[in-house]
Amino acid sequence: MKTTLPVLTGIGSVTPYGPLAGLISPEFMEPLEPSVITAWTTPGVRRVFLVEPFRPAAIVPGLKTRRLDRLSAWALVASSLALRDAGIDLSQLDRSRIAVFFATGLGCVELTEAFFQSAATNGWAGTDPITFPETLGNAPASHVALFHDLRGPNVTLSSKSFAAESALLQAASLLRHGQADLAIVLAGDTLTQAVYEWYEAAHLLAPACFSNEPMPSAGGFIPSEGVVAMVLEPAGRQTARSYAALGAGCWAAGGDARSAVRQLLGDVRLDFVICAGNGASCASSPLTCSARDLIGEGAILPAQAVAAGMGEAGALLHLLLALSKRPGHGQALLLGRSAHGGFAALRLELF
Amino acid sequence: MLAGQCCFKPATELYPGFAGTVAAVGALPSLAEGHRYSRTDRMAMAAARDAVADFDGPASDLRESGIVMASTVGGLSEIDAEISRGPAAWYRQGGLSRAASYPVSRVAASVAEHLGIEGPTCAVSVACASGAMAIALAANLLLDEAAPMVLAGGSDALCPFTLSGFNSLQALDPEPCRPFDQNRKGLNIGEGAAVLVLETLARATRRGARILAVLRGWAMTNDATHPTAPRKDGLGLACCIQRALEMAGCGIEDVGYVNAHGTGTPLNDIAETHAYESAFHGRSRPIPVSSTKSYFGHCLGAAGALEAAITITAMQTGALFPTLRLTDPIESSGIDWLRGELRRQPLPVAMSVSAGFGGSNAALVFGRSRA
Repeated sequence: MKTTLPVLTGIGSVTPYGPLAGLISPEFMEPLEPSVITAWTTPGVRRVFLVEPFRPAAIVPGLKTRRLDRLSAWALVASSLALRDAGIDLSQLDRSRIAVFFATGLGCVELTEAFFQSAATNGWAGTDPITFPETLGNAPASHVALFHDLRGPNVTLSSKSFAAESALLQAASLLRHGQADLAIVLAGDTLTQAVYEWYEAAHLLAPACFSNEPMPSAGGFIPSEGVVAMVLEPAGRQTARSYAALGAGCWAAGGDARSAVRQLLGDVRLDFVICAGNGASCASSPLTCSARDLIGEGAILPAQAVAAGMGEAGALLHLLLALSKRPGHGQALLLGRSAHGGFAALRLELF
Repeated sequence: MLAGQCCFKPATELYPGFAGTVAAVGALPSLAEGHRYSRTDRMAMAAARDAVADFDGPASDLRESGIVMASTVGGLSEIDAEISRGPAAWYRQGGLSRAASYPVSRVAASVAEHLGIEGPTCAVSVACASGAMAIALAANLLLDEAAPMVLAGGSDALCPFTLSGFNSLQALDPEPCRPFDQNRKGLNIGEGAAVLVLETLARATRRGARILAVLRGWAMTNDATHPTAPRKDGLGLACCIQRALEMAGCGIEDVGYVNAHGTGTPLNDIAETHAYESAFHGRSRPIPVSSTKSYFGHCLGAAGALEAAITITAMQTGALFPTLRLTDPIESSGIDWLRGELRRQPLPVAMSVSAGFGGSNAALVFGRSRA
């Protein structure tokens, strides 16, 4: 079934750390504190992790994003930075064999809300034809394909709690089965006032959203936003470096996580567990306990609030943050657990 | 469909002043917690329940199954324009549970909850190619041995959101659509759900399953041309068809029927015609093609799965469904436009083709089981 393991050769991101190619520099890494919302009016102090506004064309010359949802714009920037980081010259590749996988929980919510606004203002017969296609879930991935002229498989998916892990695994599967030569995997979401207020009304937020607590030490999360892009390709291309090789993985809506992960690991001794606490407190004790159970005396790279706040799209940011800590060479497991009993696990060899 | 009937009716209740269409659907499951599920979710659950109704394998296999469900609107079928007047108030006034159903991932999660499935679960949202891509991705999950079997399909409910959106693009035909006709004016939106149960041939044979068809090949490509319009020369779709045939180990002579995407829009149908001309160029006889969207409209995220099911039905019954209302076909070479009377012929290999906004294409090649 498997030939060579796909390797991760490029990273681009647009997150609360800003638009970046490659790993996040140590001086930016921690602590990243949530900022007080000023983009809209709140009843009191409300804190979130937001992406500071920037001009995409300043990062990627020639990029036009004026009519796009921020999610699409960030996907374009992040994918461009990831390809740049990987040192890939697309003109040398068969672009019909380059895949794009995009993982998102909510999709283009900004323009979806704008579309509903036009319906409320003008009636259903008076909605905006420019906005409508940009509300579709696959708009960001299709813009990535259009901008880079990528004509291979183009897939947008969601998965309760584990969209990013699912996208990574399915993109790697395409490479293994020869259905693509290279894949750009992206994961992200944007935060709007309506979404934030929905989280708040549903009592999903951590106390740290409403106070100066440094971290969400108890239930709930601090909402976050951004897009992370990663370039996957089969091992063997002459490249400056690879961040990691992706091994086997699994994700499931329920069942015996411990047994499944044990089976996945086989005889592999883990050096690191990267915790991906999606949409939950980064101090999620079940996750930490699971990790300790798996790794023994190895290192646990705890979930980070800024990534946990991105919900089901957060795993790529968890992985980026873990890689940015430069933990060293070794066998790692990206491990996610959901409050509903689901889990995701992905084996990695870190370089 | 065998009787040549279509299920269109005016959609005035959903969209006053607009003569759209609604596909009739059967009864949806009665659920104690029905308020948590959108209409899209509930149609998916009904289809999935039917798909596994005669599954007689080990219960653990069903529990460990994967789910790949496609949708474009998900729970947005429940939303109304009032949300933009005050989202927070709307959510707090009883909208919370409905709001939780908006993400398309809920469609797959709802099926999992309904059937007690705990395997890998995800939702695909690739506009109108979603349903076919769900099947392709499900097949990859089987190749990876990620689950003993996978439920793959799509669901989308008719709602003001999509009707209004396609209307704003002037893509709707106020009359029943006429795919591939020179006088076509656009599409009709439909609604529905379809779910296929996929497992490896070896496993299905071993357990003595009733094998409806073999998915021999699949492929996905992107036009990378325009956010909404397809590539005019159809080469992106042609490439997709060729790759699916290559994976299937089939030549262009082997395919007996193509269930086309065939929306009825001016741009799609001409691009698709060029794709068939290119992909089947050199074939000794014209390739039979029809669009079954003329029966139930364009079911968006469900379309690819629904049409895959119809393609399998065509193989099982030997009935090649004609495109309804196709009187003056697009001028083409090498295409046998199925129209008029139902045609009957043995069909060892058939193909279902889908495309969507964002330039995505998907092709599925089905063969009859020799078991």
